[in-house]
Amino acid sequence: MSAASTNQRMAALAADLKTIGYRLAAALAICVVLTVLSDVFLTTNNLLNVLRQTSLLFLLASGLTLVILTAGLDLSVGANIGMSACIAASVIKLTGSALLGAATGVGIGLTIGLANGVLVALLRMPPFIATYGMLWVVHGVTYWFMAGTTIYGFPPGFRALGSGYFLGVPIPVYLMFVFLALGTFFAQRTTYGQEIYAIGANREAARLSGVPIAKRLILVYAVSGAMAGLASLVFLARMNSAEGDIGEAFTLPAIAAALIGGTSLFGGVGTVSGTLVGALILTLVLNGMNLLTIDASWQPLVTGVIVLLAVFFDTLTRKGGEARK
Amino acid sequence: MNDSSIAVNSPTAFATSLSRVPGVAWILGLLVLTFALASRDFLSGANLLNIGLQSVILLMLALPMTLIIMTEGVDISMGALLTLSSVVLAWVLAHDGSLMLALAASIITGLVFGLMNGMLVALVKMPPFVVTLGTMGVAQGLALLATDGQSIVVSNDTLQAVYAGSLAGIPQTLLIGAVGYAVTHWLLYHTRFGTYVFALGGNPDALKLAGIRANVYLIAVYAFGGVMTGLAALILTARMSSGHPTAAIGMEFDAIAAVVVGGTSFEHGNGWLFGTLLGVLAVGALRNGLNLLTVPSSVQVSCIGLLVIVALVIDSFKGKK
Amino acid sequence: MNTTIPLLELRGISKQFPGVKALDKVSFAVYSGEVHMLVGENGAGKSSLMKVLCGAYSADEGEFFFNGEKVAIKSPADARKFGIAVIFQEFSLVPYLSIAQNIFLGREFPARFPGMVDHARMHREAKKILDLLGLDIPTKTLVHDLGVAQQQMVEIAKALSQNARILVMDEPTAALSDRETERLFVMIRQLQSEGVAIVYISHRMAEVFSMGDRITVLRDGKKVASLLPGEATPDELVHLMVGRSVDRSYARNFCQTEGELILEVKNLTSANGVKGVSLTVRSGEIVGLSGLVGAGRTEVARAIFGADKVTSGEVWLHAKAHRGGPDKAVAAGIALVPESRKAEGLALIRSICDNLMLPGLPLAFPSRLYKAADARQIASALIDRLRIATPSSQRPVRLLSGGNQQKVVIGKWLGSNSRLFIVDEPTRGIDVGAKAEIFALIDQLVSQGAGVLMISSELSEIVQVCDRSYVMRDGRIAGHLSREQLSEENILKLSVHHE
Repeated sequence: MSAASTNQRMAALAADLKTIGYRLAAALAICVVLTVLSDVFLTTNNLLNVLRQTSLLFLLASGLTLVILTAGLDLSVGANIGMSACIAASVIKLTGSALLGAATGVGIGLTIGLANGVLVALLRMPPFIATYGMLWVVHGVTYWFMAGTTIYGFPPGFRALGSGYFLGVPIPVYLMFVFLALGTFFAQRTTYGQEIYAIGANREAARLSGVPIAKRLILVYAVSGAMAGLASLVFLARMNSAEGDIGEAFTLPAIAAALIGGTSLFGGVGTVSGTLVGALILTLVLNGMNLLTIDASWQPLVTGVIVLLAVFFDTLTRKGGEARK
Repeated sequence: MNDSSIAVNSPTAFATSLSRVPGVAWILGLLVLTFALASRDFLSGANLLNIGLQSVILLMLALPMTLIIMTEGVDISMGALLTLSSVVLAWVLAHDGSLMLALAASIITGLVFGLMNGMLVALVKMPPFVVTLGTMGVAQGLALLATDGQSIVVSNDTLQAVYAGSLAGIPQTLLIGAVGYAVTHWLLYHTRFGTYVFALGGNPDALKLAGIRANVYLIAVYAFGGVMTGLAALILTARMSSGHPTAAIGMEFDAIAAVVVGGTSFEHGNGWLFGTLLGVLAVGALRNGLNLLTVPSSVQVSCIGLLVIVALVIDSFKGKK
Repeated sequence: MNTTIPLLELRGISKQFPGVKALDKVSFAVYSGEVHMLVGENGAGKSSLMKVLCGAYSADEGEFFFNGEKVAIKSPADARKFGIAVIFQEFSLVPYLSIAQNIFLGREFPARFPGMVDHARMHREAKKILDLLGLDIPTKTLVHDLGVAQQQMVEIAKALSQNARILVMDEPTAALSDRETERLFVMIRQLQSEGVAIVYISHRMAEVFSMGDRITVLRDGKKVASLLPGEATPDELVHLMVGRSVDRSYARNFCQTEGELILEVKNLTSANGVKGVSLTVRSGEIVGLSGLVGAGRTEVARAIFGADKVTSGEVWLHAKAHRGGPDKAVAAGIALVPESRKAEGLALIRSICDNLMLPGLPLAFPSRLYKAADARQIASALIDRLRIATPSSQRPVRLLSGGNQQKVVIGKWLGSNSRLFIVDEPTRGIDVGAKAEIFALIDQLVSQGAGVLMISSELSEIVQVCDRSYVMRDGRIAGHLSREQLSEENILKLSVHHE
């Protein structure tokens, strides 16, 4: 019995490694190509830079992954970063307390997420349109709040969150691994995680099995919002300045990271660790374009194409898989 | 016939549309009243004309958006596509092309993206909002690449004449809007295509039972959106005298807002084109009035976002009855 | 008009599905200007016959004759060619198009300009058809604004506009009020007088006898009788309908003593058609909820479980008032095995283990910490107990056979402390062996003190397995049968309209 269960465990682990493995191999292949093409790629500085960017993207995309697991979507994460960062920045400026500012940033993010959750779970609005409306509401409030100004210059203690090092490794990278562990724990090792997968796989079956759908949906949107709030702090600390448009460019890459990482837009399939690899791949691609002095204007185009490709294959495999039985 | 015949809930289609009027007309009326009280200039002839002129671009997007939403889809690439088309138009003009050539290039750009959206939605069965989210990134990226992030300044007399000129005392821009509305109305209510648009959202199985190739029409709906966007680029470029790589980013949201406020629903192919016109005017009046009250444009965006959420909540309650 | 040659005749039609002979050498003739009633209990072959008629199924063997000439009906297009039109219970109408647009959907009259529709002509033609049907509704009215009866009329108009000479109607009065039914009958008489042949499927004895010119009874995929209304009484007709030959290998010890009251439903009314239902389920008994498809059985199950909104009435569990959604119901010890296992019962892409564990998660892991190894162990034990044929608990459920999938749907409730099991069509689409296993499992549950409310369309199952049964009709409880009274004939008498 125990031998069999160990065997099963090994088989499950192997299956996990296989899905992640392909993607890790892809990431490695990109690394090899970039090493050949660019002298700068394989330098400590650049690699740390890649990791730092990956960690920021991952923090945002990890919360989003939970939302997508329920067959939902959160288009407001970028705008959420903007508002959380700007309000956190002004709180730090006003009170001088980095801690209070950080708490505010996460709090704002959480509030926006909760609002999304209420619209989707209680008012039954389609997730994409609810969070899309939220995007513009949040965006407008942020611009109004900032009125075109820039807030800059934060205490070093706060800045360390984005640009500090510990044992030669950027602080955000530690955050990334902490939240990788937390996210994986939540998704795989709690009954909430199991229920979230079930909601995405078949919402009606989950409901009829007694899963409290509304509560779980509100939870994932709230987590996604709070993670955007946290990401905003890291970004703010890194940039050392906040403007109204600070988060706009993040939505598409965050969605792309989750999708590249194997999370299915149709729900019920995906892992937080996959999203980490997805974020890494996307960052490597963008970093490589940077190193090869390809215009930064290519970035939205490339991200857009990657999203389209990822959804394309997701649609094909998912429809194919369901048609088979 | 005074006999037992079954009670008819609603005697005519006219009465049905009347029963729908209150929502959007109420909002529009309330907005006009508020702004008329708050700002003396609001109801002036010049300002009303201004609202009309400013709303034409929005109308050109909102018209096809109505059809797309009726098929239970959405196109959030429209703002980025409008930007790209405008950049293309400006680029051709700046390189000594004729206005006709420039306009053709702009429309073809729109058409290509529309076809791409339509085919991914209809043939691959990808969810419309992610498809158009992806093409939004592509269009945005192309616009940035084509311009290097700078404006392409255009000084073309014909273009300005089209934009600022008037015919029989009516500004030509308004005429373009009117023609756009008339054509869409004709398409939706007087052609097979329009009939099938209603069916695509209302009961696609009925189309298949009737032996209609539904996918062709679904692709056509998105293609129509692309063409109208390409046309709208003409007005946008003329108004700004340039093609700018972020000129119309986010404008699709105003269009979605106009459609949703105008009473078109995301379900069952329940669309109403005249409502969209009213919705466009409501969004235009809201923006204009808030401008007069010197409310920053950012807050205007928030107001429109709230408007959409409220309209959808009302829609969902109506749906539940 | 020569009434001795049938307009359409089917000879020796057979249709086989894996494991089921849906139609077995059925012969059937319908004459111009007659209303031909088709009756039979659930699964007798009525819908299969209807689908063969309209070309949706092609028959394995048999011949068709149209006006005495041998023809082939292999596709819906063939059926249309011979003027056969079917009105299913689910309409094929577009809600926000007008009546006229719906009637001519896909066959719009072209105007001079290509692609344009000649609205004037379309409305004129539509008006003609509505006039023919005696319908005084403007042709511009949106279908969305019509009642169910009027929508049905539009479907009929659509059929007539295609020059239908044979109109097939599947329980057309199911959703109609008395008044609307009357109206429909007037119209049917009119069509009849114009020479249209009508095939009419019904469960209502009153209309079978008042409207029918000829009655054909199907049972177990075979035609058992074809008679004129005067040749039989309603009782005799019911007698002809029952008596399906079904495997009788499962026997159980029926409940002897009265157990404690688990469920008491008082006057339950729901938004989707449950009208004042009262029933009880006691510990140790299997209570049937019988009736014809569409009588409201599933709706009662869903209302008790909180899956649909209850508008009035009460649900008492263990002498405590219960209300709330499915999550509350599960916490209170109710288990629901839903009607559609793929749409409502299983997350097909997830593993057997994940599916089996879902309802019992809070009980198995009270700390909310999920241990995959523990879950696998619990699941493996369940797989052994249920004898689910699979190499591993980690296989996706979609790879299992129907019977094994159904075992998962029932099995997932074994870890959730449920005392009341509502099982809705637990044996649909599974083979005989799996059926016996499922009944053994249900029997095991009641012998351990659970109460079971079982919905089944197979009357023989209800008779064999249940301690007693309620019979539903039109959203109401039409009657209650004790163990001694339980027979297919008695159930059917209560199920069909039979005054």
